[in-house]
Amino acid sequence: MNDLYVTCEDIISDIDFKTVRDWKDRTGGKAVGYFPVYAPAEIIHAAGMLPVGLAGAGDRLDIQHADARFGSFICSIVKTTLELGMTDHLAAFDALLFTSICDSARNLCYVMQRNFPEKYVDFLHLPHNPSSPAAAEFLASEYRRLSARLEELGGEPYDEVAVLHAIESFNENRALTRSLCDWRAERPHLMKASELYALVRAGNYLPVEQHTEMLVAAGAEFEGRAAKARDSIRVVVEGAFCEQPPIDVVRIIEQAGCYVVDDDLTIGRRWFTEDISTDGDPMMALAQAYLDKSVYSSVRHDFRKPRSQGLVEKVRNRKADAVIMLVAKFCEPAYFDYVLFKQELEKEGIPHLLIEFEEKLFTFENLRMEVETFAESLLFA
Amino acid sequence: MVDWYQKLAESAETGTPPAASMMVSGACVELTQAFDVLPLYPEVNALQLAIRRQSLEPILAAEEFGYASDNCAYVKADIGAYFKGITPTGSPLPKPALVLCNFVGCNTYVKWFEHVSVIMEAPLYVLDVPFLRAGEPSADAIAYVVRQLKELVVKLEEITGKQLDMDKLREAVWCSSQVEEYWSKIKHLARRSPSPFDAYFDAITLMGPLYVHRATREGVAFFKQALEELELKAELDREAGVRERFRLVFEGPPPYPHFRAFRDMFAKWNACAVASTYSTVGGLWEFGARHDPDNPFESIALHMIEHNVTNRNMQQRNEQIKRYVEEWDADGVIIHFVKSCRLFSAGQGDMREYFSRTLGVPTLYVESDLADPRYFSTAQLQTRVDAYFEALEMHKSARTSAHVG
Amino acid sequence: MRFAAGVDVGSTQTKAAIVEQNAGPVAFAIVDTGASVTRAAENAFNVACREASLQPADVGFVVGTGYGRYKIAFGNAQMTEISCHARGAHALFPNTRTVIDMGGQDSKAISVDDNGHVLDFVMNDKCAAGTGRFLANAAEVLGLGLAEFGALSAKATHPVKITTVCTVFVESDILSYLALGKKPEDIVRGVHLAIAKRTVSLARRVPLEPSVTLTGGVSRNEGMVAALEEVLGVPLQVSPQAHFAGALGAALHALDRVDASFESGVWRTAV
Repeated sequence: MNDLYVTCEDIISDIDFKTVRDWKDRTGGKAVGYFPVYAPAEIIHAAGMLPVGLAGAGDRLDIQHADARFGSFICSIVKTTLELGMTDHLAAFDALLFTSICDSARNLCYVMQRNFPEKYVDFLHLPHNPSSPAAAEFLASEYRRLSARLEELGGEPYDEVAVLHAIESFNENRALTRSLCDWRAERPHLMKASELYALVRAGNYLPVEQHTEMLVAAGAEFEGRAAKARDSIRVVVEGAFCEQPPIDVVRIIEQAGCYVVDDDLTIGRRWFTEDISTDGDPMMALAQAYLDKSVYSSVRHDFRKPRSQGLVEKVRNRKADAVIMLVAKFCEPAYFDYVLFKQELEKEGIPHLLIEFEEKLFTFENLRMEVETFAESLLFA
Repeated sequence: MVDWYQKLAESAETGTPPAASMMVSGACVELTQAFDVLPLYPEVNALQLAIRRQSLEPILAAEEFGYASDNCAYVKADIGAYFKGITPTGSPLPKPALVLCNFVGCNTYVKWFEHVSVIMEAPLYVLDVPFLRAGEPSADAIAYVVRQLKELVVKLEEITGKQLDMDKLREAVWCSSQVEEYWSKIKHLARRSPSPFDAYFDAITLMGPLYVHRATREGVAFFKQALEELELKAELDREAGVRERFRLVFEGPPPYPHFRAFRDMFAKWNACAVASTYSTVGGLWEFGARHDPDNPFESIALHMIEHNVTNRNMQQRNEQIKRYVEEWDADGVIIHFVKSCRLFSAGQGDMREYFSRTLGVPTLYVESDLADPRYFSTAQLQTRVDAYFEALEMHKSARTSAHVG
Repeated sequence: MRFAAGVDVGSTQTKAAIVEQNAGPVAFAIVDTGASVTRAAENAFNVACREASLQPADVGFVVGTGYGRYKIAFGNAQMTEISCHARGAHALFPNTRTVIDMGGQDSKAISVDDNGHVLDFVMNDKCAAGTGRFLANAAEVLGLGLAEFGALSAKATHPVKITTVCTVFVESDILSYLALGKKPEDIVRGVHLAIAKRTVSLARRVPLEPSVTLTGGVSRNEGMVAALEEVLGVPLQVSPQAHFAGALGAALHALDRVDASFESGVWRTAV
């Protein structure tokens, strides 16, 4: 596993996107970067392009230009993503795709459009009213619009069979990811949360088939592991669905006495709770899956079921002892959800700890102390 | 507006007429009016608390409850006021019969209304409005909104026990179209020099009636009179030879807790706002769009998707301001970044770049907040505003002497 | 009247400059601002007059600038420190196109034209200090004087990464690094680089064109100058009178007023 894991960590911290450039050199295809959290990668894949999940620049890039374009009180990932563009790190991308996750991300879409007119930059409106029977049709129309624009950009013309194949490939990838997560939740002492995280997130930068092979190899390697369990509490980490903390934060949470048994880090790779249907119109199938088979998320609005209920179910299903709310500085959707999550967790008697982070963190001592204290308070209670 | 608060107080006491929480931007107030449902605007409450300098206490109460210091202060003022039993006028506000989140561009509103619905235990309906990407909305987007409006009709029928009266709806839509015509004419009066009113600081006092009474005969009469009075003032100003020294376009909401102090910073330089994007939150009508009584549902849908600033993208907002600068003959642009409202503010630095560098329009960018009084530093803002005008003055005199020479 | 003066009331120090028509600056003075802005302004002005062997009445026009500008009892007019630093920097280095002014409480970047008039400007936002105050705080945590602090930076070999520019949190960052056994010089350099990046990012909001002139009190910190040059990639123009740039600019604006041919309407009477 060590080699595979090191490879994954290299891939996710590479802001020069070598995997993307290699793929383009090899295939002559085009690359589409999408801002987290979720994008219909299947449609991009079916157009013969490489869908790449962007996640800012972490701690790898100093912000020199983007601060001037986005003022104070705006989250870091918006700024580092723009900084990537302004420092030519996004040259490999022919298109950039944004979705309706929050106001800052949406405005970033149009700032990108103004500053990079040579790229195709678009915004998908993912419905906020899944209760309306009209929502699926509308979303399918969004997907068809995207497909048509990709074709204009030089992609393969829309082909139902190609999209169905893409759905199958991603279904397989997501099923493997789900089973690895389940496997680990049962045996968190055998696989580090940081290992699983890097492994899953690496899929953002690779062709899906290649990533699926990695997941298969990793699964086999994990099966052969043996180790003793430590005295740790089991926690669900919630809130870092978009901007990603440094991987050291994940490590430190575990070192400080918490097994992370579930989380919403790079949730887009585990977006669907079950396979997407491969019957009928694939655009409708993708749309319907978004509305009815998605995980709950702070940036997916569905007032038919409160998200706080989704969190409590996650805690119960994973037999977790506590929740760590890991919230990016200035992330308004996470701030809002924290309020209702907190109410619900307190009502259910589930302890929680709130931690605010930024992409750029170089000293972790305070974090370690907070998490250790939290774990101790539960272990020795 | 006093009349509206009285009606809300009556509704709070007797339960009739029922009230629906809505957001100002792209409100489908024509539809609620057709059912005699009172609109209840949480953001107007927050604004009123802020301008009356009563917002800090509820904001702190909301923060104690778990809201972050970087959450929208409108939300905190509104929800904190509910916890504390504070209302802007002191008279009670009704519990909404329906929390109608007419989404329109602001993701924070979806959370806000969800929270209102949970905290007040009132039913929620999210009317999803696709964001405007291209110049005109797609047929799919219009169809999606129209279908939801019809779902909403069913909800309103349940709440009121009445069937939709199409004539009443057409009447409400007709009233809106008239109000929009008058409001648009008022906006165009500011193209004159001197402008008879300030299209930022004064416009705000006309915005309340616009949201509350737009779809009524009272609204039509009110805006007809407002137009007549301003036309008269324009004539008198012209005869008196009054002149503004600087003509400005404002972008972003104002700092309500320090409204007077902020206004004075510009008044001191005899500067007048001739246009503002904030005054198009409720609707963007000065470029010709109107509600259409012959197509009530479609025109309400179009209003929600296309004809209000918050559902339009940043590039479209740039174009809107550019038109103001050119057609309203402005000297410069003031961008007021408010930390609460990322819809307006995220990316305004890039907007500054566009105006000051790409277009060469003198542009001032300042930061504070629309409801939280703690983010306003008078001395710092004063320095920025003064320096801006000092430079603008130099430019104007340099330009004038260049023309003379 | 051949003489005019500028008084720049800053948060920590008050500066005065006197200029003579067709001759340039003839005197500078600096005093601590202390509790009374009004008195500090008077003191600085009087010291400058003595320096120039003038009576206050010999000075034809006084312009006040800086945060305390409206509190100067004897001034004839006020202008913002932005207009004054621009003019002052231009007087010190006529080729100046960009001014970076780093003072005790804030920093600014100003784009200027051939005459030292402001084309565009930006100031740091409220919370993210990145200013003299921030440096003083960092020096205090390390138990260093400001001069030592600036000089120590040059000895660094492996500067640490400081992410925060918040005066409160920098303390815990520094303590963490000390606990990790990092050398003080590497920490100092890290602090300087963090502020330099912040400042250059600010300066990019105006056209950041050479030549770049640094003004304000922080210009005396050699570590800060070196860090800024590294991040900018171009040398900075720093005058020994850099911290008088605001007062000098104010004095030059005052001189325009003495000169009757100037009629722009910029001037306001004292409030």
